[in-house]
Amino acid sequence: MIKFAGILLILFAGTMIGFLQAAKFAARPRQIRQVLHALQRLETEISYGQTPLAEALSRISELVPVPMSRIFADISRSLRPEASGAGETVSECWQRAVNAGWPSTAMKEAEREAFLRLGATLGGSGREEQLKHIRLAMLQLQAEETTAREDQQRYEKLSRSLGVLGAALVVILLI
Amino acid sequence: MPQALMDLFPAALRTVLEKIPIQASDTLEEIRIREQRPLEISYGSRTSFVRADGTLTDDHRASFIPGREECRAFLERVTNHSLYAVEEELRRGFVTVSGGHRIGLAGRTVLEKGSVAYLRDIAGFNVRIARARIGFGSGVLPGLLDFKAKTIRHTLIVSAPQQGKTTLIRDLARCISSGEWNHPSAMGWGGRKVGIVDERSEIAASERGVPTFDLGPRCDVLDACPKAEGIMMMVRSLSPEIIVVDEIGRTEDAAALNEAIHAGVRVLATAHASDLEDVFARPVLSRLAADGVFGSYVLLSRSGGKVLHRIVSAEEAAAEAARRYRSRAGAAPRDAPNVRIRAPDPHAGAGDGHD
Repeated sequence: MIKFAGILLILFAGTMIGFLQAAKFAARPRQIRQVLHALQRLETEISYGQTPLAEALSRISELVPVPMSRIFADISRSLRPEASGAGETVSECWQRAVNAGWPSTAMKEAEREAFLRLGATLGGSGREEQLKHIRLAMLQLQAEETTAREDQQRYEKLSRSLGVLGAALVVILLI
Repeated sequence: MPQALMDLFPAALRTVLEKIPIQASDTLEEIRIREQRPLEISYGSRTSFVRADGTLTDDHRASFIPGREECRAFLERVTNHSLYAVEEELRRGFVTVSGGHRIGLAGRTVLEKGSVAYLRDIAGFNVRIARARIGFGSGVLPGLLDFKAKTIRHTLIVSAPQQGKTTLIRDLARCISSGEWNHPSAMGWGGRKVGIVDERSEIAASERGVPTFDLGPRCDVLDACPKAEGIMMMVRSLSPEIIVVDEIGRTEDAAALNEAIHAGVRVLATAHASDLEDVFARPVLSRLAADGVFGSYVLLSRSGGKVLHRIVSAEEAAAEAARRYRSRAGAAPRDAPNVRIRAPDPHAGAGDGHD
């Protein structure tokens, strides 16, 4: 009886591990897409609205879903004049917020790099240059999105079945 | 110095500025930050360099020197981390931060089709501290009253930079809109509707459209609006009785002022000029003066940290202009102008007719 319960537990755990892994593969392109949407919005805010950065980022944080919205809200908060007693620059705030919030996303190092590079240039130049920087970041992210989608197609199902099969293998070995 | 302004400075500069002696910081007028060059302040009509421990010195070699990092961080804070949103201000060479403090910028200009598109590589700042001086205008206002029409005469306030023009005009606007005429015969006149065209956001220092300085109960402010257009907008839609504008001097300003005056609105304006002679030497102003637009002039000057004012009526100004004309024309007084006021250079008055 106990043996049977053990077998069930192992099978359950393996399957779960597989599903989690698969979910990560599915989440990465989705989140990159969200960042792309956010940057598109930022582009509009800068070119048409000429909205100050803090306000633009707080609006964006209300638009995008959770892991990214937290990062945007964090940056926007520390850029507000009343909050920034420490006198941080945009790129410092950006870096701190990204380093703190990135692990809770499914995105990888390449996206992080592109996103950080954008942060180092925001707010420091005229409109045209800002738009160029944003477009460059969007291009890089789009390239990452394509590879992320390929990864998803290749590995999503694979990791799901690997989870179940791995668990089964362990069960067989243990019996 | 106001805390909100202090918060704009990056930490390294703030620690220095916080240690400035109290008598200097109470009368502080300008803080001049130049990258890799000594930190300078001007207060109570004198200037000093600042050592790293906040003490003042006349020796620039002993001064604290702001570096590249501080200047970059300061620029970011001043532009609210959004340089792209203040391109128009950069083109004009200054930004106005909350509280009405104007920050003049020096850097490298970028040209587009021959005219300045914006500034880049900004490495010099002149922080001009705006102060509301409640009661500053009450000494001047009684001299400007028009008792027949129960309002003020068209007035031009004239002085060299940094003598308190904006401070005066701000307090005059407050007095007029709240009805503090400060004259026994003006008792019971009540306040007048005042419209302020605040091109540089210095008079009202509006934040999100709401003035942060006290301007009395009957004031409307067009914030960051070009003067000429703003005056027309005011006249069309806000029915002001008195229009207040800062620093007139361009042809289109004069045209708009003429429009307003003929629409029955009184005008209170300022202009850069060290004295009346300068007024008559500047083409646009002399044209306005020659048309007899202004009923009185207020001349501001400074001595020993105190602002002195002199009110000159149009007739006196005309006499002064004529005297000047005669002294220029040598011994030919019969050529003296027979108009009320006439610019010394007749060509200056021969511009395109706009009234």
